[in-house]
Amino acid sequence: MNPVRNLLRHPIRTGLAIAGIMVTTAMLLDMVLLSGGIERSFERLLLGRGFQVRVSPKGTLPFDTEATIPGARGVRAVMLSDSAVVAAGPLLGASLYARRTDTLVTLFGYGVDPVAQAIYQLDDGRDLAPADSTGVLLSQASSTLLGAGIGDTVTLVARLDPQAAVAAVERRLVVRGIVHFLYDYKGQPSVAALLPLMQDLARRRTEDRVSAFVVKIRDDASLAATTERLRAALPALEINSVGDMLAHFRERLVYFRQLSYILGTISLGVTVLLVATLMTITVNERLGEIATLRAIGVSQGSIVRGVMVEGGTLTLIGGSLGVLLGVLTAEYLDRILTAFPGLPAAISFFVPEPRSLLVAALVLVLTGILAGAYPALLAARAPIAATLRSDAT
Amino acid sequence: MTLGLLLSLLFTGPVDSARATQPPMLPALLSVALERRLADRLGAGVGDTIAIGLDAGGTGRRAVVAAVYEPAADPSAITKREYYLRLHLPDLAALLGAPDRVDRFGVGLLPGARPGTATEALNEVAFGFRAYPSAEIASESSQTFRVVSRFHEAIAVISVVASAIFLLCIMLLKVEERRRDAAVMRFTGISRRTIFSALLLEAILVAALGSVIGVGLAIAASAVTNLYYQHFFDTTLVFSIVTPAIIRFSVLLSIGLGLLAGSLAAWRLIRTNPMILWGRG
Amino acid sequence: MSRRSQLPGAPPILVARELRKDYPMNGETVHALRGVSLEVRAGEYVAIVGPSGCGKSTLLQLLGGIDTPTSGGVTLNGAALEHLSDRDLTRLRLTKLGFVFQRFHLLPVLSAAENVELPMAEAGIDRAERRARAAELLGYVGLADRCDHRATQLSGGEMQRVALARALANRPSVILADEPTGELDAATGRGILDLFRRLSLDGVTLVVVTHDERLAAEAGRVIHMLDGHIVNDTLEAP
Repeated sequence: MNPVRNLLRHPIRTGLAIAGIMVTTAMLLDMVLLSGGIERSFERLLLGRGFQVRVSPKGTLPFDTEATIPGARGVRAVMLSDSAVVAAGPLLGASLYARRTDTLVTLFGYGVDPVAQAIYQLDDGRDLAPADSTGVLLSQASSTLLGAGIGDTVTLVARLDPQAAVAAVERRLVVRGIVHFLYDYKGQPSVAALLPLMQDLARRRTEDRVSAFVVKIRDDASLAATTERLRAALPALEINSVGDMLAHFRERLVYFRQLSYILGTISLGVTVLLVATLMTITVNERLGEIATLRAIGVSQGSIVRGVMVEGGTLTLIGGSLGVLLGVLTAEYLDRILTAFPGLPAAISFFVPEPRSLLVAALVLVLTGILAGAYPALLAARAPIAATLRSDAT
Repeated sequence: MTLGLLLSLLFTGPVDSARATQPPMLPALLSVALERRLADRLGAGVGDTIAIGLDAGGTGRRAVVAAVYEPAADPSAITKREYYLRLHLPDLAALLGAPDRVDRFGVGLLPGARPGTATEALNEVAFGFRAYPSAEIASESSQTFRVVSRFHEAIAVISVVASAIFLLCIMLLKVEERRRDAAVMRFTGISRRTIFSALLLEAILVAALGSVIGVGLAIAASAVTNLYYQHFFDTTLVFSIVTPAIIRFSVLLSIGLGLLAGSLAAWRLIRTNPMILWGRG
Repeated sequence: MSRRSQLPGAPPILVARELRKDYPMNGETVHALRGVSLEVRAGEYVAIVGPSGCGKSTLLQLLGGIDTPTSGGVTLNGAALEHLSDRDLTRLRLTKLGFVFQRFHLLPVLSAAENVELPMAEAGIDRAERRARAAELLGYVGLADRCDHRATQLSGGEMQRVALARALANRPSVILADEPTGELDAATGRGILDLFRRLSLDGVTLVVVTHDERLAAEAGRVIHMLDGHIVNDTLEAP
């Protein structure tokens, strides 16, 4: 009983079944990738610089709203007083402008402490020095927009008065480096400067306001306990570990996760239906053959095993091709979803993880094997003589 | 300038920098309108007093709830679980410590005025702001929905392809199951044309019946989806709609595929020697 | 034609006791067998003949354990078939019985040799041994040069020879054949006839259901059936 040869008896039927399994496998694979992809992608982003905790205004996530935290120095001191905290970096986000010839262009500004920051990585040039009040870092997009490179001077302006057509604040800054901002969307024109400078530009200096803090904990094992202590010490603020952030994120993307579960289940169900239908009809066509095998002494177990191997082989072939198709379709779907406005360019929705791929593959093959089991069992248990008689007529 | 502009907000005053040094003038008791979800969360109704402020730690300003409203469902905001309230603009501006600042203006044009011309004129003299036609803003802000739509369309295409293959396979199997019947019919002199027509009709009936059941299932699933997500996100947003156009497309596609699959399989059957169909060839 | 004689007093290897078989059909009961008893000893060549519907194929199926009687029983090599589990019965068919069917019932995706090897593979015989035996058996039935041909590439007569070789694979105690020449023309049927003769001469116990008078004439014992009864048994004839 050779499964491949049995499948080749009806090449068109087998070809169609393989095509069907291929497409449903691709869908299943994509849904498995989608179900946890963006979380894994986001987690990598959050931990990319090693800061395990985020602090933001109460009831918000970092940069979710325009709310700010007052008294940044005091807040920072409280956090650093905890022995488990290695670093606490303040962060301020603000809309501002830059002069480009005789026009103004809109930029997004980050006020940072370069010693403790988690939002950019240096691509070229050098980072800001801790006391560099005349330096600025540009993203590639803002560098192109302003036509400015390392060593050039840019003029940042803020607090514009539309009536008087003047800016209340102007700063001429020297470009120290080109960076990529980890949380920026594709093509976002951003700049980074020291926090006090950005506070001046955004008129946040008086109350020493920041948008958020990033906090580095000495030891990952003490993360949960440290987060609790910070919450107790700063009850007016929102303290989230990376795990908490992921939970919030997960809630926001619940639609995609549920969609992935539903579509993944449907794909699996369709595969089962397809293989089961094919094997049922195939087995029914070969009832006479099966009865003969039983008559000459082949056991029920051997027959059932043979049919299950046939179903499994079909699923394995279709599934293998489906994995290849799934990778291609995942790339296509990812291109669609990563066009979400405001989504960090570093985020991906479809992230392959060997373990989940393996689980999906095993589930699929097992499903294919079992789908043929029931019809095979029925056929193997059919009365031999009656089957031979009806096969002869 | 004869632009036919009508400003919906009249808010002119001294330059921003001068005004900023003056302390904001707030009434003793603010008047606010809460969205329904926030009112439920706070357990507050019209006439109740709440405290609002910029920072979680502070005491905040006292405000009386003047109204509870149901906001227009905004798909981009439902997952954020944010709560909204409304204040009079001067109150909010004063609360923020920026009495002369707004985020945007909404500008209404007199009949006959063209938004494109108006925005160009505004942008010529703009400093620190930019004007856009509302249609452009709507287009930009609907980018999120366009992405989701494209994603759904892509998934739909994959699903349709899978369904089509499945349908083809099943039709082929169903017709092949009838090969001995077809052989007997040929033996007894029934023409190929009659056999083909009979098998085709069967295929169409199966496809049509499947379509009807499928449409019913889709409508039911759509209703369940809306029920579930409206409850889950506490919103009046409609998540799924089965339109006549969608039904028409699905039914036509299904019957078309059934027709194609049935005719391919039936054609193969009638072209085969009946002895081979019978199993003796 | 010489015939090996049996040892006097040797116990029968196949015994049927008061076999009855009823089938429900369209609300009525068809009595296919109405109390049939017989014994077959080692080395016998038994032909069961009778008109269509007399119950001869039903009798063969009951003797082979592929159908269960309404009442009565069958004993093969001392084992009562009605007391055996399905697994044991299957094992018995594999090792003690060989079946030849009217419509050959070869597996079309396998070659002639693979069809013959099938029961040996099921019995757990290793590959080399079963390949050798399959070649030997196919040579015995005159198909040594057709070992690697698919079953669908063989003629009717060739397929029946392969079926016979398959039936002999595990050295069964009894070969049961149901209309082995039913699907064959006269010339091809003659070849099968010759094979059965040879098998009988070699001491193989044969029970053959047949309409073929030539096949019946070759048998050392002919059982005539009618309406579910045995009406004549040449073994008992004076």
